[in-house]
Amino acid sequence: MISRAVRNLGWTGGILFRVGLTVLIGALLGFFIGRPWTGVAAALAVVLAWQWRRRLQLLQWLMRNSSDSAPEWRGQWGELATAMLRQLKRKQFHKSQLLRVLRQLRQSTTALPDGVVLLSPKAEIQWFNDAAMRLLRLATSDQGLRIDNLVRYPEFVSYLRDGHFESPILIRSIGPVEGWLSLQLVPFGEGQLLLMVRDVTSQARLDAMRKDFIANASHELRSPLTVISGYLETLTSDDTLDPLLSGPLVEMRRQAQRMNGIVEDLLSLSRLEAADREAPREEVDVAGIIGQLKKDVLARAVHPQEVMVVAESQAKLLGDTLQIHSAFHNLVDNAAKYTPATGSLHARWWVDADGAHFAVRDTGIGIPAEHIPRLTERFYRVDAGRSRATGGSGLGLAIVKHVLQRHGATLEIRSSEGKGSEFICHFPPDRVQQVTLQPGTNAL
Amino acid sequence: MDPADLSHHTSRRFNEDLERVRTRVLAMGGLVEEQLLRGLTALVEGDSQLGQSVAIEDRKVNALELTIDEECSRILATRAPTAGDLRVIVATIKIITDLERIGDECEKIGIAASRLAVAERPSDHYREVRHLGKAVQDLVHDALDAFARMDAGHALNVARRDRIVDDEYESIQRQCITFMMEDVRQIRRTLDVMWVVRALERIGDHAKNICEYVIYMVHGKDVRHTSLDSVESVILPRSG
Repeated sequence: MISRAVRNLGWTGGILFRVGLTVLIGALLGFFIGRPWTGVAAALAVVLAWQWRRRLQLLQWLMRNSSDSAPEWRGQWGELATAMLRQLKRKQFHKSQLLRVLRQLRQSTTALPDGVVLLSPKAEIQWFNDAAMRLLRLATSDQGLRIDNLVRYPEFVSYLRDGHFESPILIRSIGPVEGWLSLQLVPFGEGQLLLMVRDVTSQARLDAMRKDFIANASHELRSPLTVISGYLETLTSDDTLDPLLSGPLVEMRRQAQRMNGIVEDLLSLSRLEAADREAPREEVDVAGIIGQLKKDVLARAVHPQEVMVVAESQAKLLGDTLQIHSAFHNLVDNAAKYTPATGSLHARWWVDADGAHFAVRDTGIGIPAEHIPRLTERFYRVDAGRSRATGGSGLGLAIVKHVLQRHGATLEIRSSEGKGSEFICHFPPDRVQQVTLQPGTNAL
Repeated sequence: MDPADLSHHTSRRFNEDLERVRTRVLAMGGLVEEQLLRGLTALVEGDSQLGQSVAIEDRKVNALELTIDEECSRILATRAPTAGDLRVIVATIKIITDLERIGDECEKIGIAASRLAVAERPSDHYREVRHLGKAVQDLVHDALDAFARMDAGHALNVARRDRIVDDEYESIQRQCITFMMEDVRQIRRTLDVMWVVRALERIGDHAKNICEYVIYMVHGKDVRHTSLDSVESVILPRSG
C-alpha cells in the first residue's frame, strides 16, 4: 500500500515522503520522552544504520558471485538485487552463446582441408589451423612471427609486399611433399589479413596432363594429315581420273584443309598455354597489322561491301606481335565470315586515358544473348550447322581470349541477334607505348 | 625532453631496424631456396633454358647480399649495438655470406644442368641426385626456419643432419667413379653430375654454418669447429 503510494509520488516525492515519515515518527517518539530532536536524530540514525547494513549485504552477495538467486528483500534494495541478478544472467547467457559460436568456428576452421592463417596488420601470424601448419611447415610456437619470415617463396614475399590480392598465386612447394600450392590473401577487419592455402597439386597435374594430351594429339594428327592432303592434291589435278570422282575429291580436299586448320589452331592454343603467363613486351606495330588485315578481308572471294579498317592512333602496343596478329586476325575474319556481302564491317584501333582499344563491328547475323558468356570456350558453337558451313575451327575466340589474358586485356562482346555484333579488346595503359602524333598520318 | 622517453624511442627504432634486416635476410634465403629448387628441376627435367636462367638470376642474390651488408654496416656505425644485438648483426653478416655462397653453388648446378640437358639422360633420372637434392633442400629450409624462430635446439638438430648429406655425397661419388671406369665415354657427363653433387654437398655445409650462427646468436657461444655433442652440453641447460 505505502510502497505503491510512494511509487506514485515519483523520485523526489518518494524521498521527501520517506524522510518526512522518519522525522515524524522520531519526533513523536521523542515527544513521549520529552526530547523531540533526540528522537528525530535517533530515528534517522536507525534508518541510516539499516541502509548501511543492506548495502553491505548486497556487496557481500555480489562478492560471493552467486548468480542463482537474489536475496529476498522487500523494497528498493530487493528490487535492486533482482535487477542486478537479471542483468548478470543475461550477460552470462550472451557470453556462453558467444563462446559456443566461437568454439564452433574454431573447430570448423581447424577441420577445414584448406589452410587458414590469420595475420595482424604487420603480417604477424596470429592463428592458423592444422592444414596451414602442414602445408606451410609452421610450428605451434610460430605465433607472433612475421609470415614472410617462414613462408619465404619469393613470389609470395612480393605478393604480400605489393598488396594486389585480387587473385591467388600458384607456388611450387618444396614442402613435405613436392607439389603446387595456391596462396590467397584476403584483407579483412582493420588491416588484418587472412591467408588461405590450398593444395592444388592434383589439379595442376590434371591440367598439365590435359595440355600435354592436346599438344601431343594435334602434333600426331598433323603428319598423317599432310600425307592425305598431298595425295588429294595430286589426285584432284589428275585429268585421267573418272570425272565422277572429281566432286567427292574436291570435297575431301576441302575437309582435309579444314581439319588442318583445326589442328593448327589447337597447336597454337597449346603453345599459348605453354608460354609464360604474361606476354613479353616487344613493340607491336598495330597500325601495320591492321593494314594487313584490311587487305586480307578484301582478298576474300566474298566480303562485305563496306569495309572500314582504321588505325586512329600510331601508338604501339607492348606485347607479342604474332599473338596480337592472330587475335586481331581471328576477330576480323569472324566478322567477315558472318556478315553478308551487303553488310558492312568496321574495325577501329584507338588510344584514350583507359588504355588502347581494338573494336570490330559488323552487321552480320548477331549472337543470341544467352550464348555470349560461353563464346570463348573451345569448340563452343552457337549453331553447329552454321559454323561448320563457314569452315571455322571453333577455336578462334578461345585463342583471342588466351592472347588477351596474356596481355592483361579484356574482351567485351556486344551483340543483338539479326543486327550485328561488336567485339572490343581493351588493353591496359601500361601495355601502350605512346608516340607523338603526326597530323595527317593517323588514318590508313 | 624526457631522457627515458628518448631512449625508449631509439631502442624501438633500433628494434625495427633489426627486424627489417632479419626479414630481408629471410627473403634472400627464400630466393636462394627457389634457386636451388629451379636448379634441381632444370637437371632432372633436362631443361637447359631453366638452367641458364638460374645462372643469370644469381645476380639477384648477389645484389641482396650487398644491400643487407650495407644495412648491417650502417646499423653498426649508427647504433653501436652491444651484447645480444651485436651478436645478431655479426651473425647476420656471416649468414648472408653463406647464403651468397649457396647462391653461387646453385649457379654451378644451373650451368651443369644446362650442359647435361643436351647429353643423354640416365635411365634412373638421377634418382640418387634427386634424393640428395631433397635432403639438401630440407636442410637449407630448416636452417632458415631455425634462424626465423631463433631456435638453437632446432638449429643443432639441423646441423647434425649435414652428416647424412656428406654420407650420401660419398656414396654417389663412389658410384660415379664406377660409371667412369666402366665406360670411358661417360666421363664427360659423369664429371658434370659430380659437379652438381659436389655443389649440393657444399650447400649442406653452408646450411650447417647458418645453424651454428643461430646457436651463436641465441647462446653467445661460438660453436664452430667443435663437435656437435659438446655443443649440446653447452646449449642444453638453457634450452631445457
